[in-house]
Amino acid sequence: MLEFLSRRLAAALVTLALATVVVFAVVEVLPGDPALVMLGTDARPDTLAALRAKHGFDRPLGTRYLSWIGGLFTFDLGNSHAYGTSVAKLIGDRLVVTLPLGAMALSWATLVAIPLGVFAAWKHGRPGDWGVMGFSQIGISVPNFWFGIVLVLLFAVTWQWFPAGGFPGWREPLKSVHALVLPALSLSLGEIAILTRVTRSAMLDTLREDYVRTARAKGAPERRVLFRHALRNALIPVTTVAGLIAGFLIAGAVIIESVFRLPGVGQLVYDSINNRDLIVIKNVVILFTILVLAVNLVVDLAYALLDPRPRVRA
Amino acid sequence: MTGFLTRAARHVGFQVGAVLLLLFVGTALVSIFWTPHPIDALQMRAKLMPPSGAHLLGTDHLGRDVLSRVMVGAQTSITVGLIAVVIGLAIGVCLGAWAAARGGWVDEALSRTADLIFAFPAVLIAILITSVLGASAQNAILAIAIFNVPVFARVTRGAALAMWSRDFVRAATAMGQGPLGITLRHVLPNIASVLIVQATIQFAVAILAEAGLSYLGLGAQPPVPSWGRMLRDAQTYIFQAPELAVWPGLAIALAVLGLNMLGDGLRDLLDPRLRVLRVG
Repeated sequence: MLEFLSRRLAAALVTLALATVVVFAVVEVLPGDPALVMLGTDARPDTLAALRAKHGFDRPLGTRYLSWIGGLFTFDLGNSHAYGTSVAKLIGDRLVVTLPLGAMALSWATLVAIPLGVFAAWKHGRPGDWGVMGFSQIGISVPNFWFGIVLVLLFAVTWQWFPAGGFPGWREPLKSVHALVLPALSLSLGEIAILTRVTRSAMLDTLREDYVRTARAKGAPERRVLFRHALRNALIPVTTVAGLIAGFLIAGAVIIESVFRLPGVGQLVYDSINNRDLIVIKNVVILFTILVLAVNLVVDLAYALLDPRPRVRA
Repeated sequence: MTGFLTRAARHVGFQVGAVLLLLFVGTALVSIFWTPHPIDALQMRAKLMPPSGAHLLGTDHLGRDVLSRVMVGAQTSITVGLIAVVIGLAIGVCLGAWAAARGGWVDEALSRTADLIFAFPAVLIAILITSVLGASAQNAILAIAIFNVPVFARVTRGAALAMWSRDFVRAATAMGQGPLGITLRHVLPNIASVLIVQATIQFAVAILAEAGLSYLGLGAQPPVPSWGRMLRDAQTYIFQAPELAVWPGLAIALAVLGLNMLGDGLRDLLDPRLRVLRVG
């Protein structure tokens, strides 16, 4: 068990180390002169030189890379080019919007998808199953940002139940949760669709198992068979996929925050692209990578608790 | 082949997918030669008009015909999606087949690299690339293609490894055929169906990705019409002309739905046991 987890942790750290090299190469080496990217080709030589000195672009590559990595450990990520403030604080202020948004979307996705998947497997090959699968097919195909716009059309423009965008800040908790409802719904659509499919196929697998037949033969009530015997084992693949999805939710937030004008990390990325603020982009991409890897580690842990087999295989 | 057609005639999902795809490709082809109005015809006096006889889907914030722009948008989607998938397919299949044939450190190195790319969500790869190279259709293609490479590499590797343990491949090895010859003659032809199915699904994923990128302003640049950017513009005028936000989104959803249904249908018809990778 410990060996399995330490192996996974080591693999994640190697991936993270490689990711920092890739991001550094793309942002600071590939463009030749990062200062030129940030200021544009018509910038004056003295402003370029000043920017290089300010962000340390005039130092050797190795030194720059190591000082960035050192900064990642001490949360000293340098200053934003566009905002002039500390990147760590900038990201921290935005995470309080993005993390709750992602958490809401993920909980909503699991709450809807697991019952739907169980229902579809229970009604396998009958109209109820077709209905759920049809819904899932549509959910995978509809772009989440368009779903968000349609939700705005219906619930903000036509009925005015929810705001069309914006975020009041956590000093007003109720209003803030209210403002996150439509964004979380749109973010979760595709994830509901995928998770429903996974739950359904995992349930179909476990429902064929001998222990399920035994439970039915003993006369156990159908609800008990479905939820105690079948779902419990089906949850193993469902957890894995839910973890993968969590990573993509974080990235999907970039577009959804743009749709709803939420001041989260996604919006920060979007603004930073327009401002050509490479310092912010570099750090946000690594932050997202760390989040994805962390979620996958948590999934591995959950996996090891739910199913004894991977411990042996590792 | 006749068996395939008979089964296809009974598979409703496959047929709906095929019809939607024909509609999508047909619209793109027709729009090369004809659109109801020129796509750049500005009419500032007729802006944000509701649907009418002259403009079936109305006009946008610059008075341009929305139907014509939706039609040409199909070209943009197909071009970006298709090129990205073909690049990803070409590189991914080579790498996957190589990993399966060589095994050992080649396999290990390629699999770890694929894991690394999967750790970055696709949107982030695109953001990194466009933030450094600038926003354009070419860079959007590059970003989507990079994400497609490990998908195809992984699928090819898995399917090819299964082939390498089959008796007819072992027989070919025993007869002295080299790994390249076996890969080309025996492995690839036998895993073609899984690649076709995966390519169909990836085409759908690529169209969604292109739409998302151009919504963020990171895809095809104006004046080239793209569905994602049309949605961004429509959102600004959502209170004055709400229906503008409906058409491009519906076009994306139908195109992607068609490809997804076709992909799932093809899987059922070619080999129901195939496992399709779904990552976006």
